[in-house]
Amino acid sequence: MTPGIDTAASNRPLWLRILFAAEATRAALWPERFSPATAWAFLVPAILVVFVLVAGMGYMVDASLRELDRSTFMLSDDYSFANYATVLDRSFYWHIIGRTVAAAVIVTVITLVLAFPYAYAMARTPSAATRKLLLIGLFLPFFIGQVVRAYGWLIVLGQEGLLNSGLAWLGLDAIKLIYTYTGVLIGLVQYMLPFAVLMLAPAVTAVPEEVELASGSLGANWFATLWHVLLPMAKPGLVAAGVVVFTLTITDFAMPEIMGGGTNDFIASAIYDGYFSISEPGLGSALAVLLVLLASTLVAVIFAFVGVGTLGYTKRLER
Amino acid sequence: MSRPSARALFVWTIVWFNLVFLALPTVVVIIASFTAGNIVAFPPDGLSLRWYASLFETDSYTDAFLRSLYVAVICTVISLPVGTLAAIAMARYRLRLAGPIQVYLLLPFTIPLIVSGLGMMLVFGEIRILGQLWPVGFAACAINLPFMIWAVAASVNNLDTDLENAAANCGAPPLVTFVTVTLPAVMPGVITGGLLMFILAFNEFIVSLMLVDARIVTLPVLVYNSIRSVITPDLAAIAVVYIVVALVTIWVLDRLVGLEVFLKSK
Repeated sequence: MTPGIDTAASNRPLWLRILFAAEATRAALWPERFSPATAWAFLVPAILVVFVLVAGMGYMVDASLRELDRSTFMLSDDYSFANYATVLDRSFYWHIIGRTVAAAVIVTVITLVLAFPYAYAMARTPSAATRKLLLIGLFLPFFIGQVVRAYGWLIVLGQEGLLNSGLAWLGLDAIKLIYTYTGVLIGLVQYMLPFAVLMLAPAVTAVPEEVELASGSLGANWFATLWHVLLPMAKPGLVAAGVVVFTLTITDFAMPEIMGGGTNDFIASAIYDGYFSISEPGLGSALAVLLVLLASTLVAVIFAFVGVGTLGYTKRLER
Repeated sequence: MSRPSARALFVWTIVWFNLVFLALPTVVVIIASFTAGNIVAFPPDGLSLRWYASLFETDSYTDAFLRSLYVAVICTVISLPVGTLAAIAMARYRLRLAGPIQVYLLLPFTIPLIVSGLGMMLVFGEIRILGQLWPVGFAACAINLPFMIWAVAASVNNLDTDLENAAANCGAPPLVTFVTVTLPAVMPGVITGGLLMFILAFNEFIVSLMLVDARIVTLPVLVYNSIRSVITPDLAAIAVVYIVVALVTIWVLDRLVGLEVFLKSK
């Protein structure tokens, strides 16, 4: 049998015959004159899948505009901003919002500081084995999931955990990290680190080593090169990593719930409680809409000032 | 030479700190899972495999594990065609409205997971599919779709369009070109994206928490509920199951595509 596409149908292998049958079906259903719209046809399934989230958002906005009628415990029929007024009026919610935003800032800064040298080492190490080890060290926690990692941290930092057993063995006092803000932050930084490194690594790899050498041979020490050459050139990666870590932290639920144990709730916990604990879906929805506005405003501001970084799907749209 | 050594000291100190920091909970969980005692303690109260035995004897654990597997398979099966086609459309064709579509397709990422979860709970309730398991897999696909699109788009950007033109010039019709030229070229991205979608759905917690009830609880939700009551070593054994699944996924990813693909820029 001749290799490749033979014009004689009888000589074609089975898979090619199936493929040509499919091609005929395609030609009947999607003739050539439709071809300018092919890209749109490719996009339709993804647009529909994502539309479920948009529809869900619509339901949340709708619920946020309806006040709970305390006589029937149903949401009212007419719209008002009463739930938003209630959220903005309660210092309890302001406190939670402040705690969440502060955590997002702290976690983003610490994570980027830790992630950059890791990405740099992966990009520059001459040893393939070292690179592989660093990648596995990154992917293993990334692929384990937040709940299981939080459980691991409970065992490390808990009252009877590894850290306190070690301190007791040394004759030192126990440190209380579980159910504290610090504990939540530790868990969050560890959770975000793989995301940050994976967003940064391509940007750092893209900086040619020659640039670094040139800077060095012109008399800059490595820290000056880092500050004036490496970090500015890796900016798209830093932006992408920073935005990802910030938005994931500001919206996180599991880590504050498990590591904070109810003492250090973030906005997501307050939204959850609105629905399932105090049964005020309108209030929870209003808080959810505020969280979306808060997160997307911050992201939009960052994108407006420094571009989308490496977050885009295409090359063309990046600045 | 003091310059390279200052750099090496700075970089490798932080790298070693990170490695320990990243691995610590994993290593500790593995040690804790082999304890013979009834509580998690350090050093462990003797060694045994009793907590692993209890996993296989407890139906709620094995059932939840199988449900999570089912959710991950559903998510992957939906994501593969949906994400691949979208990525090819975004990266390969010149689209009008490419900017707004890009923003729209990044929505799963910009809408907080708690909001997506509650929103889908309301939508699924409205169309009466809440309480079934397959919508949980669909939900995992919806919230993680950008990962699939990114993975494939990275491969599409490496695709040489001259190859497609050559195939067309030689008389290959569009679908044949797509299957024999385009698809093989983007296959590394498809495999990477598919594995990411699988493992992310297998681990998915917060959205599942909104969408499952006691009858169809998935493994991460079960672990979460157990953590909230009492921390027993059987959870450590479950955690080791997760570690094993993660290691297998990494191994497959490395064999088929190579982990180094994540270092390449688009």
